[in-house]
Amino acid sequence: MGAAKDAVPRIAHLDQDRHLVEAARREPARFDALYRRYLARVYSYAYYELGDHHLAEDATEATFVSALTNLHRFEERARPADGEGASTFRVWLFQIARNEIAGERRRTRRHPVEPIGETIVADPLDVEAAAVQRDQAREAWRAVGRLPGERRQAMVLRFVDELSTAEIAGVLGRSEGAVRVLIHRALRSVAKDLKGSERDDGEHGLTS
Amino acid sequence: MSVHRRDVGEVEALITDRYLDSLLAIQPASVLGPLGDPNMPVGAAVRVVSQRLASDLPRFHPSFRFEERLALRLAEVAASMRLPIAAGGEGQSVAIRRIPPAPQDPLLVVGDGELDARESRQYLIGGAVAASALSLAGAWLAWRRRTSPMARAIRAAHATRQPAGHGS
Repeated sequence: MGAAKDAVPRIAHLDQDRHLVEAARREPARFDALYRRYLARVYSYAYYELGDHHLAEDATEATFVSALTNLHRFEERARPADGEGASTFRVWLFQIARNEIAGERRRTRRHPVEPIGETIVADPLDVEAAAVQRDQAREAWRAVGRLPGERRQAMVLRFVDELSTAEIAGVLGRSEGAVRVLIHRALRSVAKDLKGSERDDGEHGLTS
Repeated sequence: MSVHRRDVGEVEALITDRYLDSLLAIQPASVLGPLGDPNMPVGAAVRVVSQRLASDLPRFHPSFRFEERLALRLAEVAASMRLPIAAGGEGQSVAIRRIPPAPQDPLLVVGDGELDARESRQYLIGGAVAASALSLAGAWLAWRRRTSPMARAIRAAHATRQPAGHGS
């Protein structure tokens, strides 16, 4: 399985932002590098969760302003010995984003598990058309959007933001084992969902 | 759910997690290929849907305009934080104080806690204005009541010329 072999690099890569965080603490203007690095990820997370570009922008702005003004409170504990729950800048940043998204939802009275609507799906994919195969991406996105709250968040953080299971556990405030099970079940749900929709369409089969 | 079944589920989840690590690993595609580690004993449906999500789910980027506007705002916030940090105030919260607007009429607006000197300054400004007004009034009266011989001659000449002008 190679689990032991994978464990060390998986934890070690959590330290990647340390020098940027230290620079931003000394000179706040250098927070810009962290901002540029994580803007698309935070924005994507917000957009997948809120399903609206304007709301996603508001949540993204609030996230980065809050991160900058509270940077002195961030405490890094990302050493291999920390294991589960290791805290890194990006875990901390996504925790802030998660709170801001929840606040944005409360403000707009959105239902937390409302899937991304079909009308919302169309426009952004037009922009991304060069990068993805539109129909397949739309189906995959819809299937993820239909997942309930934490499963959907875990999937977006894993596949779109490419966070590790340990990092997602830190963001969601769950154990690493719980996040693994969340994602495994979410994948099976999405597989079933896509298989069903493909039976309806008669193409893009999940052959295996 | 029995303990055995739960354990099996956790083991499957662990295997899936390892497979996703190989699939989403940040390394050149030539190392493992774009499909992840083929030796992972992960279920076929999970494998296929994982590959599909990894390649198909888009990541969105906000507009360039939004990116630069937020960058500017962050730069402003950073600038407001710089002074406290330079003074050794790291770790302290930054209070961005509002600068009170300058009073439009310094003669009327005086804060409760301000020094007496401010009050005397107000008084001095007011006294200066009054003194100027009095000086101008005095000069005008002095001009009107000048009684020198020359002044009297001018006024007499002026008085006699006007009726003559009107009569012709």
